[in-house]
Order: sequence, then C-alpha cells, then structure tokens
Amino acid sequence: MKHIILLLMLVALFVSGCATTDVAVPDDKKGKDIGKISKDGKDDVVKIDRDKIRDGALTEEQIRAQMASLFKDIYFGYNRHDVSEGEKANLRKIADWLLKNANVSVLIEGHCDERGSNEYNLALGDQRAQSTKNFLVSLGVPASRLETISFGKEKPACMERSEECWMKNRRAHFVSSK
Amino acid sequence: MSVICLLAAVLLCLTNDAAARIYIDINSPGLKRLPIAVVDFAGIAEGTEMADIIKNDLDFTGLFVFVNKNAFIESATAPFSPDNWRPLGIDAVVKGTAEVEADGSLAVVASVYDVVESSNIMKKKYSSKRDQIRPLAHKIADDIYEALTGQKSYFGSKIAFIGQDGDRKSIYLMDYDGQRVKKIVSKGDITMKPRWSSDSKKLYYSSMRNRKWGIYVLDFDSVSEDKLYSSGATDLIGDVTQDGSYMLFSSSLKGSPNIYRMNLGTKEVTRVTHSENIDVSPSVSPDGKSVVYVADKTTVPQLYIMTTDGTDSRRLTFEGSYNTTPEWSRAGDQIVFSGREGGRFQIYTIKPNGTELKQLTDTGNNEEPSFSPDGRLITFTSDRDGVKGVYVMMANGEGQKRISPRNIRAFGPSWSH
Repeated sequence: MKHIILLLMLVALFVSGCATTDVAVPDDKKGKDIGKISKDGKDDVVKIDRDKIRDGALTEEQIRAQMASLFKDIYFGYNRHDVSEGEKANLRKIADWLLKNANVSVLIEGHCDERGSNEYNLALGDQRAQSTKNFLVSLGVPASRLETISFGKEKPACMERSEECWMKNRRAHFVSSK
Repeated sequence: MSVICLLAAVLLCLTNDAAARIYIDINSPGLKRLPIAVVDFAGIAEGTEMADIIKNDLDFTGLFVFVNKNAFIESATAPFSPDNWRPLGIDAVVKGTAEVEADGSLAVVASVYDVVESSNIMKKKYSSKRDQIRPLAHKIADDIYEALTGQKSYFGSKIAFIGQDGDRKSIYLMDYDGQRVKKIVSKGDITMKPRWSSDSKKLYYSSMRNRKWGIYVLDFDSVSEDKLYSSGATDLIGDVTQDGSYMLFSSSLKGSPNIYRMNLGTKEVTRVTHSENIDVSPSVSPDGKSVVYVADKTTVPQLYIMTTDGTDSRRLTFEGSYNTTPEWSRAGDQIVFSGREGGRFQIYTIKPNGTELKQLTDTGNNEEPSFSPDGRLITFTSDRDGVKGVYVMMANGEGQKRISPRNIRAFGPSWSH
C-alpha cells in the first residue's frame, strides 16, 4: 500500500467546519410590528382611517370596542378547514359590520392545534384563513379589505395538551389591519 | 485465529492504481465490529481531547469496539509494534503526533496500523489552527473511517435546526455530534425547517417577515441572505434538486397549497400540481426525476410520488392516518417520514416502491426526519424528554440519543450533505 503523505490544507470549507463558518445574520430591528400580531387577541396595530371616522358616527374607541366584542375567533374541526354551520352566524354578523364600516380592513390569521407537521399545519392554517375570507366575500365584503396569513401551529392560544385546548387553537383569528 | 475472521478480507478495486483492503464491509449483513485502539496524540496538551473526539466519532457508527486505554502497553511516542496490541485483541491502532509551528498553528500526523498484517494502513499530515482541534479531529476521523471502510463518513457534517428562545424561532447550526451550537439566522418572526443545497454551501428556508411568508436562501460563502420568492400567500420551501438547478416548494397563491418549482437560474416559476387539496413538503429524488410530497386528497395527509413535472402521481403510504414530512435518502433507496400511530407520531422508512415499511421510533412524538449524507443515520425531532429536542439514530432505529442542548427548545433538523 502506498504511503502517500498528503499535506491537507484545512481550507475553510464550510462543511469541514473551520473557523469561518461564523455566519450571522443580524436581528431585525426589535419591536417592528411583527411581535404585535395576535398576542392573546390584544392587538395594538389597529390603523383606522381617521378622516372617515370623523364623517361617521363611531369614534376610533367605539370601533375598537365593537370589534373586540364582535370579531370572535372562528373554530374548526380536527384537520378541517371548511367553515362549520355553527360559525356561519358569527361570520354573518362580522360581514354586516364590515359592510357598515367600510374604512376598516381585517387580517385573518389561520391557526392549528399542535398535532402534525409544522408545514402541513401552515398549509391547513392558510386554508382556514382563506375559507373564512371566502365566506365573508360571499356575503359581499370586498376581498381587497380581507388579507390572510397562516401561523400554522406556531402561535397557539392555549398551551396545554388537551382536546379542550386543541379546539381553541384550531381557529381563524381577526386582526384589524388598516 | 479469530482475529483473522474479524477482518472482512474483501479486496475491492477502489481506484485504478490501488487495491484497498476493506477492513469493515459496512454493507455486510453479518458485520462484526472491528476492535480498534485510539492512542492519545503525542506532543500537545490537547492530544487526549483529539483522540477522544476521534474515538467518539468512530463509536457513533456502531462499527467498532474499544479497549480501555489504561490497558495499552505501547505509549504514544513509541514506534508501533503489533506485539503490543495482539494480547489486547486489537486489530487496528490509531496513533498521532502534533507539533506547534512557529506561527502557532498545529502540524499533525495521524497514522492507522493493521495489527494482523503489521502494516501501515494510513499516514496523513494535517495543518490547522490550534483553536480548531474539534474540526481537525473530525477530519482525521473521516480519513480513518474511509481508510477502514472504503466509504465516506459524516463526521464533518452539520445539522441545521430551528431553536426557540421566547417567542422567536431562529436557525441554529451544530456539528453532527451536537457540539459547537451556533445561532445563525434570527431574522423574522417564524422560521421553518431549513433545507441544504447539495454542496452544503447554501441553506433554504421559509420565514415570516412583516406578516408575509417568503422563501429565503443563506449563502455561506458570501455570508448573505436573499429573498427567493414571496407570493403574498403561504410559500414553503420543500427541496432543492441535487444539481442545484431547481427549487421545489408549495404555495397557496392560487388558493389551494400546491407544489411549484422555480428554476434557480432564471427564477422562472412553474406550477407542478393543480389540486383542490393541500399539497406540501416536496422532497426530490437524487436523480431529480421524482418528487415525494404530502397531499390530503383523502382528507388526511398521505405521501404521494409523482414526476418532477407533476405527472403520474401515485399514493405511497396506505398505513396510518397522518403521514407527513418525507425526505428522500441521497442514495435514493429509502424515504423517511413521520406518521401517526395510536395518537402519537413516529418515524418510518419505506422504499420508493411502497414496500418494506419500517417503524423506527416508539417513545413520545417523533417528527421531521432527515438522513445523514451516507444514509446510515437519521436526525429527527422528539418530545420524549418533555421538551422538543433534536435526536439522532441509526437508520434501522438503533442508538437513539438526544444531541441538541437541553436549554434550547429545538426542532426541524436538517442534515448537511
């Protein structure tokens, strides 16, 4: 067998794991509106067109108060993303309100319980948000006022491992956006 | 003697000019573990640490047995003599010396000896910074492993994973043995399980930034991040072809989450599936011709295989009611995935033709599996200890152990190539 003496320069190749692997992408500026989304439903990102409010009957505070009482989470069955009959009454009330308050736009967040893969749950949460949006659109709310985003199982409302908790997490959650 | 039969004396022509002896035929079903001694390296204080890292690497493979070094007769500086090792039942001996150069760097020579044949199997010289003992020892272990088995190892490989501190999910990197943990990407509110390019110089991941999902790529050479795609809907990376020409991903830009592919040269996006259901998590075969993915055509997620252009879709999994996160092995012979059994998630492997379904885990919930470069190991997420962590096991399910640090909630591991 040949005794080849190799002078292996340990080039700073990434996988060989040398010193220059210290790659760091800096943090976002802290406190961007990212962290303000749906923390226990208390949102401070409400942006309402003040000029339009002046013309209408409601103050910004009144709008906030009405939304807080009206825009309840819409719940879904396990591994389901269709709007159940039981939730349609809530969505009809929400649609009526949105039709009366044309200056308010809404972000609909889709959420899932903790079971199953993160990626499949993000897709499922996406579909929950979209079917909620589609139902509101079918009631006449302009699609342009309804944005959707999926959080999958990444932001549960309830942290315990129980059917009761999972039910609370399979939800569409409303956030007033602008 | 029995020592002789421990050496699987298979002669293979590995290259044109040399016939190398294979000391361990790792594909042999009746594999016997090779008794090996790793002597502390002479010359520097870190010599013991180097020998320990090499020994741990070799031990991780399950292919070797070791003798307590207190029983060694021959010192690190003494010349190799087979008579010092035969009484201990040792077949192979690793020895090394290190010298500190004028500039403070290390010059290391590592050798492997065959006790039975009284021969030198490997002798290699290395140069390294003194604070890079760990990667250097992994490199030496790589070469020893290759000299003894004829196969490439994974000792220099990395595992990227998602770590959670507080509300934020960031990408971390660690050595395959759980050492040298480092946070590398903490942008974005939520970042999902990353995927490696086949040269391991790039990492692809989905991240939510300013309330929008997007697919990003981190280039380790240029130390920069780029946004590859963001439709405004839910865009999730699946895989990158081995030749680096295409990225497969899922997007709900047309309503239902479907599979798309992007030409990474032209950035042109082509729709691959056209279903009304959820299609996510595509993983491409090593030849780039087939894709395994998750679809809930039957209302529950199952694995399907189709061609890369979306034709000939066929169902792969029929057992279990919730099968997700498939990954194709780099040899192409296995698909590893997570499936639900009795209310909990377990890791399974299956052949691409749907045969030989094997359950590999049975404790806690186990998800998001990823093969080592050689396909001999699988990393995965488990909550068996209460908090989610990154684990490693042999591809047959043996030797399951946690490798991520206990102070980080860790999941979504992806093994470099």
